[in-house]
Amino acid sequence: MHSIHSRLLLAASLVLAGFLGATGLALDKAFRVSAEAAMQERLQSYIYALLAAADEDSAGRMIPPRELPEPRFSKPDSGLYAVITRHDGEPVWHAASLTGRDIGAGEQQTPGERRFSRLERPDLQLYTLAFGVAWEDDAGTEALYTFTVAEDTTVFQAEIAGFRSTLWRWLGGMALVLMLAQGAILRWGLRPLRTVTADLQQIERGHAERLEGDYPRELAGLTSSLNSLIGHSKAVQSRYRNSLDDLAHSLKTPLAILQSSQPGNDAADDSHALVSEQVQRMDEIINHQLQRAAVSGRSTLARPVAVGKVVQRLVRTLDKVYQEKQVAVDLDLDPEATFTGDEADLTEILGNLLENAYKYCRSAVRAGVKSAQHAGGVEISIEDDGPGIAADQVDMLLQRGKRMDESVPGQGIGMSMASEIIALYGGKLSFTASPLGGTRMRVSFGPSL
Amino acid sequence: MHILVVEDETRLREQLRDRLRNTGYVVDIAADGEEGLYYCEEYPLDLAIIDIGLPKLSGIELIRRLRSRDINFPILILTARGNWQDKVDGLESGADDYLVKPFRFEELEARLNALLRRASGWSKPVLECGAISLDTARQSITVSGRPVELTAFEYRVLEYLMLHAGEVISKTELTNNIYQQDHDRDSNVLEVFIGRLRRKLDPDNTLGPIETLRGRGYRFRREAGTG
Repeated sequence: MHSIHSRLLLAASLVLAGFLGATGLALDKAFRVSAEAAMQERLQSYIYALLAAADEDSAGRMIPPRELPEPRFSKPDSGLYAVITRHDGEPVWHAASLTGRDIGAGEQQTPGERRFSRLERPDLQLYTLAFGVAWEDDAGTEALYTFTVAEDTTVFQAEIAGFRSTLWRWLGGMALVLMLAQGAILRWGLRPLRTVTADLQQIERGHAERLEGDYPRELAGLTSSLNSLIGHSKAVQSRYRNSLDDLAHSLKTPLAILQSSQPGNDAADDSHALVSEQVQRMDEIINHQLQRAAVSGRSTLARPVAVGKVVQRLVRTLDKVYQEKQVAVDLDLDPEATFTGDEADLTEILGNLLENAYKYCRSAVRAGVKSAQHAGGVEISIEDDGPGIAADQVDMLLQRGKRMDESVPGQGIGMSMASEIIALYGGKLSFTASPLGGTRMRVSFGPSL
Repeated sequence: MHILVVEDETRLREQLRDRLRNTGYVVDIAADGEEGLYYCEEYPLDLAIIDIGLPKLSGIELIRRLRSRDINFPILILTARGNWQDKVDGLESGADDYLVKPFRFEELEARLNALLRRASGWSKPVLECGAISLDTARQSITVSGRPVELTAFEYRVLEYLMLHAGEVISKTELTNNIYQQDHDRDSNVLEVFIGRLRRKLDPDNTLGPIETLRGRGYRFRREAGTG
C-alpha cells in the first residue's frame, strides 16, 4: 500500500461500509421489533373484539361469538384464525377460517395471562396470541377459557421485506454518493502533493531551477527545505570549484615562474633538466588531482546538457587553435541527445577526446552524437584519419597521470582524465579502428538515474 | 613587435617581460585587467598575453571588451586550471590561443610567433620572399638555401619587415617595434641595423630585398632577388 491516495480511500471506505452496515442492521432490528409489537397489539384487539362478540345464555354461561368482528375470520384460509378452548384443551369454538387446520392452540393460559408466540411449520407460519379468560356464570361457577388468535406472517414478512429493500436501497445510494464525494475530496486534498511531484520532475528534466509553486502550509516546510537543499548543493559545488580554482592558480603560478626561469635550449645542465622535469610532474599531479576532485558526478537534480551544443562549442574552439592544420570536421549531431550531469564535466571529457583527434588526425575529424535507445542515454563517437592507436598503447594512454610515479614528462594527461570522468559517470569508453583510417573513440552513457 | 603581458603575479610578469625583451620583442606589462585595458586602448600593440584570473577585471571580461571595441590584435590566454570550460570560455570571448600554466618559455614563443604570423596573413610558419626564407618556428634564415646568422634584434627587424612584406614601414613604426620606449630612439641606430641586414642577406648586392623610400621608410620586396 504505497499510495497515500489508496490508503485514505481504503480506510475511509472501510469506515463508511462499517458505519452504513451497522446503521442498516440497527434500523432493520428496530423496525422488526416495532412491527412485532404492532402485530401483538392487533391480535390483542381481535381477542377483545371476540370477547365483546361472545354472548351469555340464560344461566350466564358463555356462548361463542356468532357475529364475528372481522370478515376474514369467516373466510377459509384467509390467514386470520381464532379458536376458543376449554380448560381441558378441548376446543369449544373456532372461526370458520380455521377449517381443517391446527394452529397448535393447546396450552392453557391462566386468566389474565397472555402469550405471544411465533409458530414455524413448513406449511404454516403464524403469530399467535393466547389469552386466558375466566367466565363466571350466574351460579358463580368459573369456567376457564383460552382465546387464541393467529395471523399468518405473510403480510408481516412482506412489510419487513419492503422496508428492508427500501432501507438498503437508500443506504447503498448514500454509500455510492459518499464514496464519490470522498474520492473527489481526496483528489482535491492531495493535489498539492501531485503538484510537488510534477514540479520535482520538471527540475529533474531541467525545465526548472527550483520549486516555485504556491504550496499549502503543510507542504511549505518540505518545499522550502527542498529548495534550500537544491540551492545548498549548487552553492557547495560552486564554492568547491572556486576554491579548487584558487588552489590551482596559487600552485601553478609559482610552477610557471620556476618553469620559465629555466634556460631553454641549452639544457645541457643536468640540474636544469631535472628541475624542469620535476616541475612538469608536479604540474601533472596537480592537474590530475584537482580535476578529479572537481568532477561532480551524477546527481538527480542535475540539468540535462545538450551534448551537440557542447561538441559545437569545442569544435569552434579547436578550429581556432588548430587553424593551421585546416582540419575538415564532419559533424552528425542529434539535437535531442542529452547528458545528465555537469556541463563542465562533459566539456572536459569531450574537450580531451576531440583535442586528441585534432592532434593526431591528418586532415579529417568526424564527430557523431546520438540518443541511445534507452531513454536518457547518449552515445558519442569521435574519429580521426591519423595513424591510430595500437591496442597495447590504449591502456598506457588511459593510465597516464593516475599513478604519480609513472608520469611521463611532456605528455598530456587529458585522455586518462577523460576516461576517469567517464567512469565516475558510469559511462564506457572504447577504442576501435575508424573507417577514416585512424582511431574511433566511443563514449556511451546509460540512462539518467 | 609590440607585446603586452597582463599578469597579476609580479615574478611571472617580470620574468616574461625580461625573457621576451631578450628575444627582441617590445614588451609592456600590466598587473590587472583595468591597467591592461588602458594599455590595449592607448598603445599600438601587435599581441597581448592575458592571464584569465586577473584582479579588477577578469581576463575573459577584458578580452570581451577589447573585441567589442574592435581591437583585433591576437590574444593568447594563460590559464591555471587548464580545464576545457575555461579554454572554451576564453576562446569564445575572442582569444586566439591558450597556454596552460606552467609552460615552457619556448612553447610560449612558438605560439606567439604563430599568432603574429597568422595575424599578418601568413598561413605557413616559413615566410618566403623570393630567395629569402625565414622560418618563424626555428627562427632561422636562409638565402638561396644558405643559412644566415642574425642577432636577436636583427632577426626581429627582418621578421617585422617580412611579415609586412610589400608594405611601407616608417622608421618610427619600425623603431617602436624594436625598442622599448625608454631606449634611445636615434634613427641612425636603425639605419645601422638595416645596413647590416642588407650586407648579411645580400653580400653581393644582387637581391636588393630592402628598399629605402626616402622620407617614408622601408619596404621589403615580396619577390626579393627575382626581379
